[in-house]
Amino acid sequence: MAVHLDPTVSAAPVRRRSLGSQVIRWVTSTDHKTIGYMYLITSFVFFMIAGLMALLIRAELFEPGMQLVSKDQYNQLFTMHGTIMLLLFATPLFAGFANIIMPLQIGAPDVAFPRLNMFAYWLYLFGGLIAVSGFLTPAGAASFGWFAYAPLSNAVNSPGLGGDLWVFGLALGGFGTILGAVNFITTILTMRAPGMTMFRMPIFTWNTLVTSLLILMAFPPLAAALFALGADRRLGAQVFNAENGGAILWQHLFWFFGHPEVYIIALPFFGIVTEILPVFARKPIFGYKGLIYATIAIGALSVTVWAHHMYVTGAVLLPFFALMTMLIAVPTGVKYFNWIGTIWRGAITFETPMLWAIGFLVSFLFGGLTGVILASPALDFHVSDTYFVVAHFHYVVFGTVVFAMFAGFYFWWPKFTGKMLNERLGKVHFWLLFVGFHTTFLIQHWLGVEGMPRRYADYMPEDGFTFFNQVSTVGAFLLAGSTLPFLWNVYITTKRAPKVTVDDPWGYGASLEWATSCPPPRHNFTSLPRIRSERPAFDLHHPEVAAMDHVEPDPGVLDWEADRRGEQVGARDASANGESQPEQSSTIIVDDMPQTDADDAGEDKR
Amino acid sequence: MKVTVAMLSVLTGFFLLVGIVYGIWSDGEAVGLGALLLCAGLTGMIAFYLGVADRRGGPIPEDDPYGEIADGAGEQGVFAPWSWWPLVLALGAAISFAALAIGWWVMVIGAAVGIIGLIGWVFEYSRGIHAH
Repeated sequence: MAVHLDPTVSAAPVRRRSLGSQVIRWVTSTDHKTIGYMYLITSFVFFMIAGLMALLIRAELFEPGMQLVSKDQYNQLFTMHGTIMLLLFATPLFAGFANIIMPLQIGAPDVAFPRLNMFAYWLYLFGGLIAVSGFLTPAGAASFGWFAYAPLSNAVNSPGLGGDLWVFGLALGGFGTILGAVNFITTILTMRAPGMTMFRMPIFTWNTLVTSLLILMAFPPLAAALFALGADRRLGAQVFNAENGGAILWQHLFWFFGHPEVYIIALPFFGIVTEILPVFARKPIFGYKGLIYATIAIGALSVTVWAHHMYVTGAVLLPFFALMTMLIAVPTGVKYFNWIGTIWRGAITFETPMLWAIGFLVSFLFGGLTGVILASPALDFHVSDTYFVVAHFHYVVFGTVVFAMFAGFYFWWPKFTGKMLNERLGKVHFWLLFVGFHTTFLIQHWLGVEGMPRRYADYMPEDGFTFFNQVSTVGAFLLAGSTLPFLWNVYITTKRAPKVTVDDPWGYGASLEWATSCPPPRHNFTSLPRIRSERPAFDLHHPEVAAMDHVEPDPGVLDWEADRRGEQVGARDASANGESQPEQSSTIIVDDMPQTDADDAGEDKR
Repeated sequence: MKVTVAMLSVLTGFFLLVGIVYGIWSDGEAVGLGALLLCAGLTGMIAFYLGVADRRGGPIPEDDPYGEIADGAGEQGVFAPWSWWPLVLALGAAISFAALAIGWWVMVIGAAVGIIGLIGWVFEYSRGIHAH
C-alpha cells in the first residue's frame, strides 16, 4: 500500500468538517474528482426529476381520456423529459465520469485547466436551472418538443417566457459542455504519465477523447442554431421563417448536433462497459486496437448520418443517409465482437458491475437492431414518429447510458467513496430495473407498428392501444421503483460499510485508477507504477502474469493482444525487491453487513 | 503525438471526402456541406498544430514505450488549489444569458458580475503573494 506522506492528503481518519466549510470546499474546488462528483450528483438529480416526468406521462397514457394533466402540460412534460434526459443528465454524466476517472487512468495529477473545469460545471448547472425554471413561469415550460422544430418553436406558435428560458439555458449549458471537452482533450494529449502511449490508454480514456472531439463538432452548430432561434423569438429576426425554408434549415442544424449527440452519450458508456468486462472475465480486452479503430470509425461516421432523422420531410438525400447509417452498424458490430471475445471462455463472476454490463449488452443489442430497421427509408416511412421510434431510442439511450451508469457506479464506488456498495441490494436493483425497463419499452415496438403516434396526449378506446399502454405504464412504475433500492444502498453503505483498505478491491483491475488508494489523495498518486502495457495496475498486482509476457514496443497497426513476454527480468527484480504489490482480492465485498463491521466504520463518524 | 496526428489526419481526409461527395450528390445542400467541411477544418487544424509542435518539441516521455515515471519529473504546471472565480464568472454568464430571455435591464447586472469575475479570474495569480 502506498504510504501518504503529504500532510494535505486526506487519508485514513477523516476529521468531520463543519457543513459550512465543506460547502465552501466544494463550491471553490478545482479538484477534478470533486468536480466530477458534483457532475454525477447533479446529473443524477436531474435524472430522477425527468424520470418523475416520465411517470406522469405514462400515468396519463394508462387509459383513454385526460385524467392527470392538461394537454399543454403534457407537451411541457415530454419536452422537458427529453431535454433533461439528453442534455442535463446523459451529457454531464459523461463529464462526471470522465472528470473523475480519466485523469486517474492516464496517471495525471489533475486536468489541464482546473478552473475552466469548475467554470464548465457552473455553466452546466446554471444553464440547466434556467432551462428548467420555465416551469415556474405562468405559461409553463417549453412545450415544442425537445427538438424545437421551426416554425412551431417561434414566438407566434409558442409564445412565452418558458420557451425563451429553454433556448438560452441550453445555449449556456452547451458552452459548459464545449469547455469541458476542450479540457479533456488537452489533458489526454499532454498530461499522460511517461510510458502511457496512446495505444496503452484504457478504452474509457480513448472514448473520452473521441467523444470530446465529437462535442467540438456537434455543440457549436447547436449553439448557433439556438442563438438564431433566440434572435427569432426575442428580436424579431427571420432566420427560421418557413417562407425561406427555415423549417428544413432548423432540422439540418439541429440534427447535425442531434445525431452526434447520441454518440456523445453512447461512446463514454461503451468505454465504461469495456473497462468492466475484462475485470470480471479475468482476461485482457480482446482486440484492443480494433476496439479503438471501431470507436474512431463510429465517431467519424456519426457526423455524416444526421438527416436520417429527416427521411419523412422528403427533402433529404435518402440513399446517402441510408448508406451511411447502415455503415455505422459495422464498427458497432466490431465492438460487440470484441466484447464477446473478451468474456469468451473467461473465468466470469457476476458481481453487480458485471451484471449491469451484461444488461447493457442485451438491451443495447435490441436498440441497435431496430436502428438498422429505421435506417432503411422504406421501413422508416411506416413507423416514423410512432412509438416504434420511442422504443428504439429508449433501448439505445437507456440501454447504454443508464445500464452503463449503474455499472460504473457499482464498479467505481469504492474508488469514489472508499466504501463498497452492497451486492445483494445491487442485484435486487438490477433485476427490478431490467424487468421494469423491458416491460416498459419492448411492447412499445408493437404499439408503434400498429400506429400509435408519439407525443399524443391521448388515444381513443377504439384504437385498441389501451392494453399495451397499461403494460408499459406498469413497467414504468416498476422501473422507477428500482431506484429506491439503489438510494437505500447508497445511504446504508455510507453509514455502515467498512472502509476499503486495498487499492483494487475487485482483484483484477487493469488501469491506473486501481493503483492508487480508495479514494485517491488530492493529486491522485503518491507513486506510479512503471507502465509497460495497457494494464499497468494489473501488471503491478500480478507480476507473475506480467512475467510471462513481454513488451513489443512497436507491434504494428493491428496487434490484437498486448504481448509482454520478456519482462521476466523486471518482474523477478520487482518480486525480489518487494516493489510489486501483492495480489489484491475482492474479499471485502460485503453481502451481509455484520454488526462488527458497522462498529469499525463508526470511527469515521467522529 | 504521431498517433494523434495520424488519427486527426485520417479524420480530416474522411470529412473532406464525405463533404465533397455529399455536396455534389445533394446539389450543394448548404448546412451539411458547410458543416462537414468545417469538421475537416477543425481536425485538420489540430493535426497541423500538433504536427508542428511535435517537430519542434521532439518526442515526449508519454510516447516513449520504455518511458520511466521519473522521465516526467519536474514542474507539472500551475494548478489552482481552489478558486472562487469560476463561480463568479459563471454567475455573470448565467445572469447575462437569462437576460436575453427575460429583459435587457437584467443584462446590466450580468455584465457587472461578469466583469468582476473576469478581472478576478485573470489577475488571481498576478496579485497579492503571486505578484510578479
